[in-house]
Amino acid sequence: MGFPPTVSGPGALKIENSFLVPAPRDRVWRFIQSAEEVGACVPGCEHVDVVGEGKFKARVRVKVGPIKALFNIDIERTEEEPMESASYSTRGEEGGRASRLSARSRLTLRAAGEKETEVAYASEISIAGRLGRFGAGVMKKKADDLGGQFAEALRQRIADTPA
Amino acid sequence: MIYLEPESVPEAVAALAGDEDARCLAGGQTLMAMMNADLVMPSTLVGLRRIAGLHEVTETEGMLRIGAMVTHARLAGEERLEGARAVVTGSGGGGDDVSISGRLEGARAVVRDAARQIAHPAVRNRGTIGGALCHADPQADLPGALVAAGAHVEIAGADGVRTAPVDGFFVDYLESSLEPGEMLTAVLIPEGPQGAVGAHLKFSRTDGDYAIVSVSSVVAMQDGVCSYARVVVGSAGPAPLHLDAADALLTGSGLDDAVLLQAGDLLAAAADPVDDVRGSSDYRRLLLPALLARAVGAARERFDG
Ligand SMILES: Cc1cc2nc3c(=O)[nH]c(=O)nc-3n(C[C@H](O)[C@H](O)[C@H](O)COP(=O)(O)OP(=O)(O)OC[C@H]3O[C@@H](n4cnc5c(N)ncnc54)[C@H](O)[C@@H]3O)c2cc1C
Repeated sequence: MGFPPTVSGPGALKIENSFLVPAPRDRVWRFIQSAEEVGACVPGCEHVDVVGEGKFKARVRVKVGPIKALFNIDIERTEEEPMESASYSTRGEEGGRASRLSARSRLTLRAAGEKETEVAYASEISIAGRLGRFGAGVMKKKADDLGGQFAEALRQRIADTPA
Repeated sequence: MIYLEPESVPEAVAALAGDEDARCLAGGQTLMAMMNADLVMPSTLVGLRRIAGLHEVTETEGMLRIGAMVTHARLAGEERLEGARAVVTGSGGGGDDVSISGRLEGARAVVRDAARQIAHPAVRNRGTIGGALCHADPQADLPGALVAAGAHVEIAGADGVRTAPVDGFFVDYLESSLEPGEMLTAVLIPEGPQGAVGAHLKFSRTDGDYAIVSVSSVVAMQDGVCSYARVVVGSAGPAPLHLDAADALLTGSGLDDAVLLQAGDLLAAAADPVDDVRGSSDYRRLLLPALLARAVGAARERFDG
């Protein structure tokens, strides 16, 4: 990462990925409707509460070496097209430690044959405060890495759940 | 926050025990900056400077044992005593420093060469080999150089002392294989193959900046044929990049440019560099084969004639 960085802040981070899940699209859609199921796939997610229609609260822990953070996050579904896509707006902050994050994310489903579904996600995340001083390059790698872990967990969890 | 300055390794290990937010403080060049930026908030800071053994350099069973608190400046040698002034070598003052540098000849010179190119004198005077390793920044210079030198790390914990090849020490960005409660006590550097030369090539935007890409190499040649090669690339992924297949390609060859580029291409294909202000990921991958050819080509020339 080369700390101290010569310029501060990663600004907006973009992560994008798509992956195949071994289940038909209606099953994948039902799965992602459940905050509890999706929360269980998010690396570092300690719990999720449904606080209203399409509104959730979560606690997520992130760690890069000695740098540790615990975010309290509010998620709101901003758009939904059943079986096709859903968009979310996310805001989070660390208790008292002055890092704030906000993100806009979109999840898209596409049937890939009868038994498989392609899940694509795109997220634009901005981070301000102390974690904004962290090197941009490593932050992006870390975000991609967490995205990859999320994809793998989601795939595994759907595959392990009886239809 | 509690600040302690133990005088022995067992005391330091005891201070680290049972508190996963306790951290060692070596030269403080990175840790202090990270604390100032509120990125790291240790509960206990264990200052290592009073532990005499960590400052020592000794020779044991073919290994040069460098204590974790030895600074980059000592590794690089006392620069003020080069050239004509080298005449004062051994006459007190920086004498010991020069003798460490003397022991980092041949294959081990890769370590001295890397230390010499870190940052600027102020950072080199405070920053330590232990801090550079434990910070586990893959853009730093010493990690790759020590993998190229085939070094081992000596680690102390509640269960005693263990040693391990430095290769496995670097796990991920800023993540070493140290377990909570463990500390690095020394780095052990073998003499390396007979007649080998070691060098660290650093490509950066300005002198003393972190590398865009660095190449650490230890190479030996006999009668125009490469008899040993170990090449490691820094700033190329989450840990120093070393491929046995690239070394195998070089060993037995005449180290001609075509082979060097081929080995560079192999490493570039395996590289996964970050995209940041110092260079894009693609740019770093593009540079890699050319820099490898430059680094090993220079080593080859030292064996000509
Ligand atoms: C302006 C600037 C420019 C730099 N440029 C370069 C460069 O070009 N190339 C390069 O390679 N490096 C560069 N560095 C890094 C520097 O050279 C040091 O390697 C780095 O600061 C770590 O060494 P330190 O002794 O200061 O460790 P500290 O900052 O004291 O500690 C670093 C980390 O290691 C841990 N630690 C330290 N010692 C031990 C131990 N014995 N056991 C367990 N954990 C330990 C600490 O808890 C901390 O997490 C630069 C630093 C600065 C400030």
